[in-house]
Amino acid sequence: MKVNLNKREPVYVQVVRHFKEQIAAGNYEPGQEIPSRRELANQLKINPNTAQRAYKEMEEQGLIFTEGNNPSRITKDGKVIGTVREELIIQAVDAFITSIRPINIPVDDLVGLIKEKYTEIERNTRGDSNDRS
Amino acid sequence: MNRYFKLVNFEFNRFLKIYLVLIGITIISQIIGVIVKSNQYLNMANDQIQGGSMSSSEFINQYGPISLYEIIQTLWFLGPIALCIVSLIIYVFFIWYRDWLGKNTFVYRLFMLPTARINIYFAKATTVFLMVLGLIALQLLLLPVEAWILQWIVPFDFRIDMSIREITGIFHYFAILFPNTIVQFIIHYGIGFMAVFVVFTAILFERSYRWKGILFGIIYGVLALLLFFAPVLLQATILYEFFYPIELLVLQMITGLTVIAGSIWMSNYLLNKKIRIW
Amino acid sequence: MIEVKELTKKFGRKTVLNGVSFTAEKGQITCLIGINGVGKTTIMNAIMALTPINGGEILINGEKIHKHSYEKITFIPDAITMLPQMKISETMQFMADFYDCWNQKRADEILQFFKLREDNRLSELSKGNTAKVNLMLGLAMDVDFLLMDEPFSGIDIFSREQIADVFSSHLVEDRGVLITTHEINDIEHLIDKAVLLNNGIVSKEFNTEEIRENEGKSVVDMMREVYQG
Repeated sequence: MKVNLNKREPVYVQVVRHFKEQIAAGNYEPGQEIPSRRELANQLKINPNTAQRAYKEMEEQGLIFTEGNNPSRITKDGKVIGTVREELIIQAVDAFITSIRPINIPVDDLVGLIKEKYTEIERNTRGDSNDRS
Repeated sequence: MNRYFKLVNFEFNRFLKIYLVLIGITIISQIIGVIVKSNQYLNMANDQIQGGSMSSSEFINQYGPISLYEIIQTLWFLGPIALCIVSLIIYVFFIWYRDWLGKNTFVYRLFMLPTARINIYFAKATTVFLMVLGLIALQLLLLPVEAWILQWIVPFDFRIDMSIREITGIFHYFAILFPNTIVQFIIHYGIGFMAVFVVFTAILFERSYRWKGILFGIIYGVLALLLFFAPVLLQATILYEFFYPIELLVLQMITGLTVIAGSIWMSNYLLNKKIRIW
Repeated sequence: MIEVKELTKKFGRKTVLNGVSFTAEKGQITCLIGINGVGKTTIMNAIMALTPINGGEILINGEKIHKHSYEKITFIPDAITMLPQMKISETMQFMADFYDCWNQKRADEILQFFKLREDNRLSELSKGNTAKVNLMLGLAMDVDFLLMDEPFSGIDIFSREQIADVFSSHLVEDRGVLITTHEINDIEHLIDKAVLLNNGIVSKEFNTEEIRENEGKSVVDMMREVYQG
């Protein structure tokens, strides 16, 4: 697991976002076991207290759950997962629109361009990930 | 207490290599000395007697028989003793300063041990004392061996056999190192021990205050000296011939113990409150 | 908790620390930052009673340091505190002899983690490996507080990464860690709290996550304010 951490944003927020991305992308399946706080801290090279805070936050948001002394797991609640996906997509699109609007490009051109670029990137990254696996 | 013994053991082992070298030099040099000197004597005797210039009794009359007494006064014998004394005097300083020296400042470790710091001081003093006693014991063991070698080389008529007591008593410097009575032993080595304590305290002054500390250390040493010799000084000056010798001895024991106690107290204070690790 | 209260220290006529106050909590990694000068190391030495202080007070779990405290708090200076001729195994034996809190199991684990062999002599080790042994000697003590002076200075990048790994590992567990550094890059995400020293006083003392959350600033941003502002 490798996450590029930003130095000006709370680390726990970044960790939560990382988990949401993984859940939304389907890299974490519902009910899947996740690393312990200590393991996560060690993997991400972050402070264990921060990892703890991120887990607490995720538990409050219903993203993960812990039963007794067992390891924490990704939620099995399809509705929550759906919301996460939606939230991330909307956030990303919002960010995109904010940065593209000042350029004043017609929407249709933009959509065409997006389609073109997207398939290109898809092709490349698929090749990459095939190599890796 | 337990950690004190461990510290003594540790300090002892740290100096052990040099110490064993000193012991080796002493043994080899003194034994070679006995062999060389007795052979020289025998050669001279052979030359004179074989040459027909005199009979063996005339030779003994003229040159005298050989004994350890003659051999002891040679460089073969006194050289290693002087070397040991000088080494141990340097060691009294070195045992402290090496902990501050170098990249690896061991003094950090020593001062962070979960034991009273004065135990470090006692351990170092004990180590010095053990080293001194060890060398004295070595010399006492070597003397009979050397007497035996002399007997083995030189025929009976040409030598005088001396007991260890005779050897150590007859030679002035040896009388200091090898006192004949327990009381004298306590006095000689008590003074030696006191001197080590005073020097240790002066070193700790220097280690605590550095340049200024050298001055403090010297002043402390002078004060300790004055206090220790106060009875003698009084006797020699204002209280001329006031004390009996035994009174003087008791008074000096008291001042000596006071100096020791004062040094320990002062060192304890410096180690706990004033010492610096760099 | 380590409490440093109004600590003042002079070298000759020069005042190096002029009323320094801060705390370091158990279970947290506190970082003492200063870009130059001797202040940081002096504070460490003062906490461990290795140098006399001119004023103020230092408490460890509410009491002044005494001989038994050295089983509860330990200090890893920037140079190793063992004799160069010692083997790693001998340094561990020394620790086991003198400290009740020495944990040999953990020491072995750390040696394995750092890939060090215990029959190596200290004098034969590289700088990076010497730093690791130095760290091992402190980490393998079951103490509440661990002080480290510039654990990252003067060693190669891979050793630095390995040492940084230690901070987020179970080797630190829920102990209190106080480290000094002049460059924060390696460990910005590892620390809970930063104490910025400047001109002999504490200019800022803050929780790193809070400062990111509330002000959107990085530790380096805070340092810039103090040291360039």
